[in-house]
Amino acid sequence: MAGSETSTGYAHPEVLVETDWVADHLHDADIRLIEADEDVLLYELGHIPGAVKLDWHVDVQDKYSRDFIDQQGFEQLMSRWGITNDTTIVLYGDKNNWYACYAFWLFSMYGHARMKVMNGGRAKWEAEHRPMTREVPHYEPTRYKAQPMDESARAFRDEVLLGLKNPGRRLIDVRSPQEYSGELIHMVNYPQEGAQRGGHIPGAKNIPWATAANPDGTFKSAEELRQIYGSNDVTPDKEVVTYCRIGERSAHTWFVLTKLLGYPRVRNYDGSWTEWGNLVRSPIEK
Amino acid sequence: MDRQEAIEFLVDHYENPRNKGEIEHPDVNLSGGNPGCADVITMQARFNPEGKLEEVAWHGEGCTISQAAASYVSELVQGMTPEEIEEMSFEDLMDQLGRELVMTRPTCATLALGTLKRGVHEFVMKQKAKQSDIA
Repeated sequence: MAGSETSTGYAHPEVLVETDWVADHLHDADIRLIEADEDVLLYELGHIPGAVKLDWHVDVQDKYSRDFIDQQGFEQLMSRWGITNDTTIVLYGDKNNWYACYAFWLFSMYGHARMKVMNGGRAKWEAEHRPMTREVPHYEPTRYKAQPMDESARAFRDEVLLGLKNPGRRLIDVRSPQEYSGELIHMVNYPQEGAQRGGHIPGAKNIPWATAANPDGTFKSAEELRQIYGSNDVTPDKEVVTYCRIGERSAHTWFVLTKLLGYPRVRNYDGSWTEWGNLVRSPIEK
Repeated sequence: MDRQEAIEFLVDHYENPRNKGEIEHPDVNLSGGNPGCADVITMQARFNPEGKLEEVAWHGEGCTISQAAASYVSELVQGMTPEEIEEMSFEDLMDQLGRELVMTRPTCATLALGTLKRGVHEFVMKQKAKQSDIA
C-alpha cells in the first residue's frame, strides 16, 4: 500500500490515510470503509461509496451488561460487513474522527491487524466535494475469526484506583474544562448520564481530546502533539490512562498517544466518569 | 417505530423541512439555542381570532436532530391553542421522535418545542396583561 502514509513524523504513519488515497481505493475489494459517526443520521444523508455504517449505540454494545460485544459478536459484525481477517478496514466519521478512533481502539482489542483512519474524516471528504452516495452496500457474509479480547489497552476502575499513588503513571482527563472542574457532569448539550458527583480523578491532567485535531479535522503534526502532551508531563516513559465520560472521547486520545506518538503503555478507562463519579468513596478532586 | 424507521423519519424531516421560513406579523417570535452548541432555532407563530394556531414557521441552524425536530414540532402544533402548546410534553416528543435515537441528544431534540413554549408563554402573559389593562 505504497503512498498510503502521511508524512508528518508519526510513530505509526501506516494507520492514517489521506482522503485522496481513499478516493483512489474506492473499488478495492480488499478494503472496507466503515463510517462511525456521533451524529446518528449522517450516514443516511450520504456516505462514501461502499462504506458501511457503524451505529455505536447498537453495533458494539452488549445489550445487557455495560460492556462491549463479545468475541462472537465481533465476529458476527465483521461477517455481516463482508470483512475477512485480511481486509484492510478504513474508519472515518464526523467530529475529528471521534468515533472512528473509538472503533479503532475496540477493533484492535479483538486483533484486527489491518486498520486505518482516514485523516480529516467525513468533514474533509465533504469539504473536498468528493463523491457521496445514499446507496447502502451489501456484502457477502464472511467467516471471520477474532482473537479473544486483549484488554491491555483497557483500564478498569480498580487498576485506576490502585495506581493513584504511582508516580510513574499519568491520568489524562480529556473532557471539557467544565466537566473536569465539576461544574458539569456531562458534555454541554448532552444528557446527564447519572454521575452523582462532579470533578476529576485525583492527579488527572485536563487535556481535552479535540486539542489533538486541526480545525479541518485532521490530526495535528507529531511535533505539535508531542508539545501538547509533553508540556503536561505526559511522556512516553510514563504509564498513561485516558478517560472521559463513557470512554469514547478518551479512545481518540488513546489513538493519538499510541498510534501517532508511539507511547508504549496507554490504556483507555472506558468506565470513565459515569463509573468513577458514582463509586462510593472514590476520591475526587475539583 | 424501530431504530431504522426512526432514522428515516428524522432524515425525511431534515431533508424536507416543513414550515421552514418566516411568517408575517407573528404573535410569537423567539430564538433559542443550546449554550456551547451550534444549535439555534427561531420559532414563529400566529394565532387566529378563535385562539388557534393559524401559522407557524421556524428557521435556524444546527445538528440534524435539532433541525428535524423543529420541522416535526411545526407539524405537531397545527391548530393548537396556546394553552395546548404550553402543555405539550417533552417526554412525549422524545417518544414520537424515537426515544432510543434521540436520547443521547435530548436538548437538541427538544430545543424547538422548548423555544416555542417559552414564546407562547410570553404571548399568553402579554395577552393577559392587555386584558387586565382594558378591564
